[in-house]
Amino acid sequence: MNSSPMNHQQTLWTIGGGKGGSGKSFLAANIGICLSKLGVQVILVDADLGGANLHTLLGIPPPFPSLSDFIQKKVQNLHDVLIPSGISNLRLLTGTQDLLNSADVKSLQRRKLLRAIRSLGGDCIIVDLGGGNAASILDFFLMSDGGILVVTPEPTSVENTYRFLKSAFYRRLRQSVSSQSVKSLIDQAMNGKNESGIRNPYELFREAKRLNLEDANRMMEETEAFRPNLILNQVQSKRDIEMGFFIRSACQKYFGIHLHYLGYVVYDQEVGSSIRKRRPLILENERCRASQCISEIASKLLQSQTRASPME
Amino acid sequence: MKWINEQTYYEILEINPEATPKEIQKAYDRAKEAFRHDSIAIYTLFSNEEIQEIQEAIEEAYRVLMNEATRKEYDQTHRERIRGTFVKEESRRVEREEEKGTTLSFKEIALHLEEMEYRGKSLKEVRERLGIDLKSISEETKIHIKILQAIEEEDLPNLPPLVYLKGFLKAYAKLLNLDPQKVIEGYLRVFHREGGEKKR
Repeated sequence: MNSSPMNHQQTLWTIGGGKGGSGKSFLAANIGICLSKLGVQVILVDADLGGANLHTLLGIPPPFPSLSDFIQKKVQNLHDVLIPSGISNLRLLTGTQDLLNSADVKSLQRRKLLRAIRSLGGDCIIVDLGGGNAASILDFFLMSDGGILVVTPEPTSVENTYRFLKSAFYRRLRQSVSSQSVKSLIDQAMNGKNESGIRNPYELFREAKRLNLEDANRMMEETEAFRPNLILNQVQSKRDIEMGFFIRSACQKYFGIHLHYLGYVVYDQEVGSSIRKRRPLILENERCRASQCISEIASKLLQSQTRASPME
Repeated sequence: MKWINEQTYYEILEINPEATPKEIQKAYDRAKEAFRHDSIAIYTLFSNEEIQEIQEAIEEAYRVLMNEATRKEYDQTHRERIRGTFVKEESRRVEREEEKGTTLSFKEIALHLEEMEYRGKSLKEVRERLGIDLKSISEETKIHIKILQAIEEEDLPNLPPLVYLKGFLKAYAKLLNLDPQKVIEGYLRVFHREGGEKKR
């Protein structure tokens, strides 16, 4: 598939990690709307394996075409599966979850799917990955220009986010090395309870250095280049807001990675009210506190779009 | 990728080698809070032994860097390693500034979240860590040195009336870059608990 003519300035963000209910779909939809209001051509992609419902958040009732229709040749042109959202500059793509969910989908096919999505054009593509640590989700996260983690200030959410981050981190390292011995070492490190006694990334690096210096150096480069983003959702106090900085420090000390704290969204009853009405918060109540936080995050994404370096 | 025992004291506290004592204090307070055993931010990431190791490293870094003499000696003996840190810290500083530069700014967040109780001795401790003598505080705040001494020593009978005490605590806290509200609340809790008003 050919690249879009706008590809040179197109940014593909993925929103993932953590557990269901942390607000990934809600944020994907509302950030997308904020950007579209700023004149950015946005495509929202629903790739949530657990339960795709971006359309509900946008107030689009089914039925509508999906990517599956294109794959099954029910529609001829890929552009025909893009659903107009009723909001200018914003379109929705669904049905990617069917493809991602298939157990036999190989990494190459995922790359093809990603290229197909990119070829739809748009300045900004936001993919809602949903929760979970499936290989396809991790690959999408790693192949995007910027991965965004959504965390709520609760131990369960933090635990799932670290689980996701560990899986993504080790997967990235594994993809970068060539020797079988180091690959197997990384597999052991991912396992946690391994025979080599590797307890953390630092010990993995130390062992990898012993086995294959070239691979160890590659792993170091990958670590330096891996820069996921973090949004803290449903914060209720300054202490909760501070947690974003603490998580950044923890990631620095544990993985040696630079996590970018993109921003936070305050807990706001307007959110629940807008979801029940099936009206996006940004359109329903642009001035509420949560909307203001989301607008801030959207502006930051727009600013970083010009300097975003691909994670791949 | 360096484990905590291989990092420079500046890396451990995530500060620039040019950091002022105030910046070191802030970084220390933040690091201490982040790596508490019950901190949600590190939940399931580190083992208890690793947390212990990090906490000890933070304390050691703080102890050395807050003392002018030990810091100077450390800087001299670790010059090369610190220089390497500096380049990295500079690029990260730019990123951090970007995180701050918005209207819903992180700047508004009080950095002293540690749940320590601010009482006389803790004010004295912070002042001494910053290497400021009481005379300078007195000159700067225009509070009589004897009152400052009474505040630090929790010498209840010699403290001024409550309304003045609050004002003095506010000025003193500001000078130490502490959250005045927390200092006043903490101090008055001790004051009431120990029957300050009755004694006078």
